[in-house]
Amino acid sequence: MSIFKYVIVLIFAIAAHISLSQNVTLQGYIRSSSSQMPVSGAVITLKNSDFSTVSNKDGLFILRCKNDKNLTLLITHIGYVDTLVQLNNEATENILLIDLHERPLNLSEVEIFGETNNVKTYSIIKISTNQIKETNMSDLGSLMRQEPNVGGIKKGATGIDPVIRGFKYSQINVQLNDGIKIEGGCPNRMDPTAAHININDVSSISIFKGPFALKYGPGFGGLVIIETDKPKFYDIYENHISMIIGGQSNHLGYRSGIKVDGGNSTISYNLSANRNKYGNYKSGNGEVFSSSSDNYNINGVFGFKIIENHTINATAEKSWGRNVDFPTLPMDERSDDTEIYSLNYLGRNIGSKINFIKVKGYLSDVNHEMDNKNRPFSDTVVAVSKIHAVNNGAKLAVNINALKGHLELGTNIEQIRKDGNRYKSLIMQPGLPMIEENLWNNASINNTGLYAEYQKLNTKLDWIIALRTDYNTATSGPMLRLKKNGDLVYENEDTDSEHFNFSFSGGLNWHLNSKVDLTASLGKGTRSPDMTERFIILLPVGYDPYDYLGNPQLLPETNYELDLGIIRNCDFSGQFKASVFFSYVADYISAVIVPPSEVKPQTKGVLGVKNFTNIEKAYLTGFEVKHSTPQSNLWQIRVSAAYTMGINPSAIKINYENGNAIGEEIIKNDPLPEIPPLEASLWINYKFFKRKLIPEIHFRMVSTQNLVSQAYYESSTPGFNLLNFRMNYIYSNNLSLTLGINNICNTTYYEHLNRRIIGSSSPFYEPGRVIYTNLIIKL
Amino acid sequence: MKTLFIISIVILLLTSSCVDTNQKNVKYVATGAISVYNLQHLNENNELVTLEVVPQSAQDQWSYQYIADEGDILYLSGNYKDINSSLKVMILIDGKVYKQASNKSDTLSFLTVSGTIPY
Repeated sequence: MSIFKYVIVLIFAIAAHISLSQNVTLQGYIRSSSSQMPVSGAVITLKNSDFSTVSNKDGLFILRCKNDKNLTLLITHIGYVDTLVQLNNEATENILLIDLHERPLNLSEVEIFGETNNVKTYSIIKISTNQIKETNMSDLGSLMRQEPNVGGIKKGATGIDPVIRGFKYSQINVQLNDGIKIEGGCPNRMDPTAAHININDVSSISIFKGPFALKYGPGFGGLVIIETDKPKFYDIYENHISMIIGGQSNHLGYRSGIKVDGGNSTISYNLSANRNKYGNYKSGNGEVFSSSSDNYNINGVFGFKIIENHTINATAEKSWGRNVDFPTLPMDERSDDTEIYSLNYLGRNIGSKINFIKVKGYLSDVNHEMDNKNRPFSDTVVAVSKIHAVNNGAKLAVNINALKGHLELGTNIEQIRKDGNRYKSLIMQPGLPMIEENLWNNASINNTGLYAEYQKLNTKLDWIIALRTDYNTATSGPMLRLKKNGDLVYENEDTDSEHFNFSFSGGLNWHLNSKVDLTASLGKGTRSPDMTERFIILLPVGYDPYDYLGNPQLLPETNYELDLGIIRNCDFSGQFKASVFFSYVADYISAVIVPPSEVKPQTKGVLGVKNFTNIEKAYLTGFEVKHSTPQSNLWQIRVSAAYTMGINPSAIKINYENGNAIGEEIIKNDPLPEIPPLEASLWINYKFFKRKLIPEIHFRMVSTQNLVSQAYYESSTPGFNLLNFRMNYIYSNNLSLTLGINNICNTTYYEHLNRRIIGSSSPFYEPGRVIYTNLIIKL
Repeated sequence: MKTLFIISIVILLLTSSCVDTNQKNVKYVATGAISVYNLQHLNENNELVTLEVVPQSAQDQWSYQYIADEGDILYLSGNYKDINSSLKVMILIDGKVYKQASNKSDTLSFLTVSGTIPY
């Protein structure tokens, strides 16, 4: 696809919103009546009309509306009492000063942390509750990959693994509720962290790009924080019920959930139960893909306010996955039983120095069973894998006022344990012989980290600096693989390792003027290898058809990254954001061929064995651009574009003839595999009937990906265009409805990161046209 | 309180509706042999059972029937020592033939039909 199309979209977007002119301009400042400080985020609405706007960080608002003799403004803000202001004829000529009276309220944990985490010098994306509730997607990964420079490796019905700016798998730190980590059971990552969380329970997803957010754990390529609903305290006892019911045509299925929450000023609770069930889908060309899934869960959150500003909450979740199809992998998920528990303490505003103290302990326990019973090769060998993965940890953080800024000191501890076997039944052989193989042999990884983060807000310049050190150890029982007759295939008893890692980051946000901020961040993020990279024993877990061998003696890999950004906020034209990044990765974890004389592959159809190893370096670079007109306008236009490229300066390619390796060659500047191509999106919506009915079209253009890894025999992917439509109808605060059509033109397409159907080179196509609806009821 | 009660019932219904298993009627059949033959098959407890069958005629039919879940392994294997004999083995799921095989005068190999109950 030519760049020309992207330029056209950009011009169209800018031209469209400039053309939106109105008659009268009202402007003024919103202030707090008690402190006389500016109030940002107040919604200013012209009564009995659709005109509204939002005050900026200086409290300034500008509202363009039709001229009328009787103008009345309604000002609303979560922290202030709703205020009506009657305007006279001179109001349009003067600057208005409007004071709001404060309303006491109980802030949630997320909002409290938000108050002391204001310095943002790098790219952060937040996916809101509304986006999550309105989507037809059942998987958090599919929702995340709609964001600029966020892709997802798709292998089956669920469990799309996020890729952020070309970083993937354990290079991304994915966690639940600010610190809970979940270790998936499948070596092929059919159940990454997000796959264990029901989308109906999620209230927001924050994506932090780069290795800069170090207080959440070892940072490398990015951080994803998935937040579920928190306990909410009420002045007097209240109960609320909310429900979501959604269904769709292609990929026939439903999402359903019920949530009950309530409490008083001392106790609170939040209980939910959800079930999402989907069938197979048809791609645009009518081909049917195995993609059914059945996931359900129950979730409970209990909060207790010991005294004012001191709360304890406990969470418990149990989820089940059943018969989830993964047509690109050798196995499907037969069952997944996951339990997640956490206990949290939050104390805030303790004396004049301490902003908050936070203590968290958690346990996630995954029992994952997979089999090949829906694969053709199960006619001779039925293989069933049963994995038990446990991740438990703790976190302590203290945030204090120091040197006119905020200093946070803390520690996080994580322990991962994994054990499990594969049971093979040779069902065509006399006596029905069985083979038991260790996939993980009581493997464990322990990581203890200490961090310090200091941030300071100034009129001209905000800055932040963070330091982190981690002590990481790992061990496993002997890595052993035997043949059916007991002969040795592979053995490695040297499984212990120990790393001291050091990371740092620093960033600046320069307020060039009232509208423009320039940001710069520099960071070094180091991570130790994960379970798979250290301990996998001869399984095809990579992009290419090789059995992979873990390497317990791998070195940690380090990402040195520089981010530069610009943010321009304008009341008339909206927000423009652009960022570029450059990453230099040292000791990049890759894999090299092991000669067959050393170890032979054990999986049918693979080309050989690869061993994880550190290569000297790799580079990644790219950009993101996003522009959105003010949400307060009736018309809203958003446009985004993003691109990443990754280079391995010296890759080794193995040449084959008739399936046999005949030699190798060095490829200079070989692209890194699994990097999504250039893409751009355009959204246009209009708010009808006092913003109750909002239809939106979304046009997505994805370029051809020709920058593919030769060393990994990666295939190029054709570009595609998609047209989607969605309409939200907000009947009242209690009832809203979403209707949508994805892929209106029934285009046959697949994302570059979708894996190929197992045993073939056929792409795993995305669904064709999908018609869906979601109904949300709140009582 | 009434609301909470209703909600509890709804949650209970939601979670209880999650437990759905599709059970199948599995039948193993062996026939066609004119003299003694050995069989091995899996039973409802997933145990491998070995037995010897003495038929009266080629029309005699040995069978074994049980209830199994989707995904269970099915296995029936037979072997005879009489060069003049033959054997036919079948697996039926809910009365329909799932796998079958037969041979004649083959005293060396085991005649095996196997698979898993499709999901």
